[in-house]
Amino acid sequence: MPLITLNNVGKTYRSIRGADYRALQNLNLTIDAGEFVCLLGTSGCGKTTVLNIVAGFEHHSEGSISINGKPLSGPGADRGVVFQGDDSLYPWLSALGNIEFGLRMAGVGRNERQERARKYLDLVGLKGQGHKHPQELSGGMKQRIQIARVLANEPDILLMDEPFGALDAQTRSVMQRELLSIWSATRKTVLFITHDIDEAVTLATRIGVMRAGPASNLKATIDVTLSAEERDRTNDGYVAVYRQVHALLRDEVAIAMKRAEA
Amino acid sequence: MKRNETLYRLLGYGCGFGLLFAIWHIAAVYIVGSILFPPPGRVIAKAIGLIEEGILQEQVLVSLRRIMTGFAGGAAIGIPLGLAIGSFRPVRYLLEPFTEFFRFIPATAMITVAVIWFGIGEASKIFLIIYTTVFIVTLNTAAGVGAIAPNKIRAARSMGASTWQVFLYVALPATAPYILTGMRLAMGNSFVTIVAAELIAANAGLGKMIWDARLYMLVDQIFVALLTLGLLGFATDRLFRWAIHTFAGRFQPVS
Repeated sequence: MPLITLNNVGKTYRSIRGADYRALQNLNLTIDAGEFVCLLGTSGCGKTTVLNIVAGFEHHSEGSISINGKPLSGPGADRGVVFQGDDSLYPWLSALGNIEFGLRMAGVGRNERQERARKYLDLVGLKGQGHKHPQELSGGMKQRIQIARVLANEPDILLMDEPFGALDAQTRSVMQRELLSIWSATRKTVLFITHDIDEAVTLATRIGVMRAGPASNLKATIDVTLSAEERDRTNDGYVAVYRQVHALLRDEVAIAMKRAEA
Repeated sequence: MKRNETLYRLLGYGCGFGLLFAIWHIAAVYIVGSILFPPPGRVIAKAIGLIEEGILQEQVLVSLRRIMTGFAGGAAIGIPLGLAIGSFRPVRYLLEPFTEFFRFIPATAMITVAVIWFGIGEASKIFLIIYTTVFIVTLNTAAGVGAIAPNKIRAARSMGASTWQVFLYVALPATAPYILTGMRLAMGNSFVTIVAAELIAANAGLGKMIWDARLYMLVDQIFVALLTLGLLGFATDRLFRWAIHTFAGRFQPVS
């Protein structure tokens, strides 16, 4: 049984003035436990909407969604979310305090939750930085805290909304490597939103290419069977997947541009 | 680094106050030269005299106690009210007519009513300070709730926080800097209000001291009261800024 099932999902934004906007239509996607799925699409194609719906932040208008066989109902600790920006972090808490947050909400005792938080602090490479507050840390470090905070809560599913989008190229590349090693160690199910083909090919076990909006859905999904060593821009296998994804996305970019002009 | 900053500040404050007294002295002695505008030396001497007689500190205590009681009451009403207005739209629509209506009726305009209702004693003063505090604190708190980044709440929800936990552990700390700023503004208003109220109708306090001095043309004593007000206000505001800095410096949004 798949962990996440989206069946003919549609999303229409109601508007008081003017026409309603249909962002998604007939979107079908199933994700099995342990998969790392990247949703790739042009800007405005509704990929973040998909994540927000799966996270429970927004309601879908049509179709059905089930998580672990149960119909989706609101946000929950089974689906941890890593946001693009750092405005989801709590500046009044230390890095460790941020990582502990979910455990504190669940009523885990102080000693145990600090121990668990430290473990994840170390895992994301911030050993010894736990006392610092988010505003004292760099953009890359803040994203590490977000990742550790979600992992400490031990959700089944990780939802990541362009988490490295605001980072510089070098930091991004380092973070992608680390995410991969964390993922191989924890084998969480990941739904990862990006507009960067390289990022998708580097990370994903499966890439879903979305159509240009409105009324977007999945144009195709591509299985990526590359090993960790093969996930390198100079590798032939990598280049082949890149070309395949690029060909699929190119037309959608053209459509999106044409629609933007019109 | 931090120690240097504090040193610079103290040095600056010292020089600033020195300059203030120097200008005051020059204006009083060399420009105006009238008994109606006493120089700082004479005012300070008078102040020392009043302290020795135990009069000044008594009046200060009376005024400060009124301010603190009313201020605490006003904040205690304003904070939960602001949180409710900021959190629940129906509450906002229901209460906005109150806040947006009374906000434009200054506390000084309510002095007469307060005295008629509560007499010239403590009750009317405390009522006025509560009145002048409540609306500013309410509005700032509500604005603070409105300014919380939605992702802060979403993150908490997807870490399993209940609605109540989101309120207690996210909304409240995220709003703290706004609440403190509202309280700081309200403290300034409280000083204005208490003096006005004591001028018009009171049996003690710094405002009453000014009014009594006027009757007997005790210009020095008037200036003692003015100086005291300025210094008290300055000290209270610094205290608040210090509190905001210490307790809420890390409450600032992540830049």
